[in-house]
Amino acid sequence: MIRFDYIKPASLEECQELLNHYQGKARLFAGGTDLMVEFRADDKKLKDVEVVLDISNLSELKIIKLDEEVISIGSCATFTEIIGNQGLIKYAPFFVEACRTVGSPQIRNTGTIGGSIGTASPASDPGPPLVAMNSILTLLSSAGEREVLLSDFIVGAYKTIIKSNELIKSIKFKTLKPEAGFSFVKLGRRKALAIARMNVAAYVETGEDGTAKDVRIVPGSATPITIRITEAENMLLGKTPSYELHEAVGKKVSEKMIEITGTRWSTPYKEPVIASLVKRALNQATGVKENG
Amino acid sequence: MNHILKFNLNGDAVEVAVKSNEKLLDVLRDKLGAVSAKFGCGVAECGACTVLIDGLSVRSCITFAVEVEGKSIVTLEGLQADGPTQIQKAFIKHNAFQCGFCAPGFIMAATELIEKNPSPDEEEMRHALAGNLCRCTGYQNIVDAMNEVAEDNKGGK
Repeated sequence: MIRFDYIKPASLEECQELLNHYQGKARLFAGGTDLMVEFRADDKKLKDVEVVLDISNLSELKIIKLDEEVISIGSCATFTEIIGNQGLIKYAPFFVEACRTVGSPQIRNTGTIGGSIGTASPASDPGPPLVAMNSILTLLSSAGEREVLLSDFIVGAYKTIIKSNELIKSIKFKTLKPEAGFSFVKLGRRKALAIARMNVAAYVETGEDGTAKDVRIVPGSATPITIRITEAENMLLGKTPSYELHEAVGKKVSEKMIEITGTRWSTPYKEPVIASLVKRALNQATGVKENG
Repeated sequence: MNHILKFNLNGDAVEVAVKSNEKLLDVLRDKLGAVSAKFGCGVAECGACTVLIDGLSVRSCITFAVEVEGKSIVTLEGLQADGPTQIQKAFIKHNAFQCGFCAPGFIMAATELIEKNPSPDEEEMRHALAGNLCRCTGYQNIVDAMNEVAEDNKGGK
């Protein structure tokens, strides 16, 4: 087992000082549901870690704030806190739905949204709805704060642009418009503790004429980085949602996935599944009947 | 690297020397004699190590001991200090275990559920217990036991 020291900073300021002091040899701990498993596996990524900074109880990082149009969630809000938050249930239900499917009750009691984002797993459950809402992260260091789009923050599987002296302070997104339809669908091998085995977040805003004005489609566990598939989104823009159209859009998402990842051992399985999940997500988001 | 850790275990104040990288589960079992929590998988998949920290069910195999400074931990030993609980009695009646290895974890998770929601329906039950694995029973006896608890709570309270 890797040897390291453990410090629980009493404030954000102390945490920043420690991050500066340890210069990349500190590892932030925000619940630890991923990190502890890495430690157990003696993961090589952790061999230079001298200290674990446990920020999971810093009250400044646990605030869930609802302004009129923007929701901000502190990075150390646990999934249990998120799925119990009435404002989030009302204004971002498909995000709450995704958080409800994370791990198990015990993982949700400990795991945090910031920890999940920092791990940057391609098989994230909260990732697709957050990307679909064009979420913005606030990163904090002793030099101050900076904001970065979630979709720019993650640059590869388990890779982010965070600097060694920074921490994720919060994530924010706009409250969903009443005229918007949205959905989160997930396929797991079993209901709980299934690391996302393909999921899709869909967001569709339709105008008065019934045509789609804003479309966002984000498949999870399909690509190394959780991203919107704009080619597929464009197929729906300006059109009236229908079963046939959603079927075609689903196929397009599959094509793009294969373009990005190449053909892999799992492709014969993932290709029809992701197409079908996208179709189902769009149907749900727009109120189109599932059986055509 | 060494910490003197103080927390509350099953109602008693305890003080114990631990290393930074020691797991709560190991400290509970090896240093404090609370052996009801079990080591199953070590990576938070199976739920055998579930304990309550400040009332929330948590995997003690992926919790550093040092994390619980000042907190209150309850293990199965603490729950049954005054004899078997309602949930334990229902588990016994419905024979909701065969080898029993998973039972402490199940009972901790079930305890958290019943605290929050005294008479859950079957779907809520299965969702709340979904993080615990049992390789013997096929789960039906566990669900039967929990259904009885839920029914009792509906009628009695």
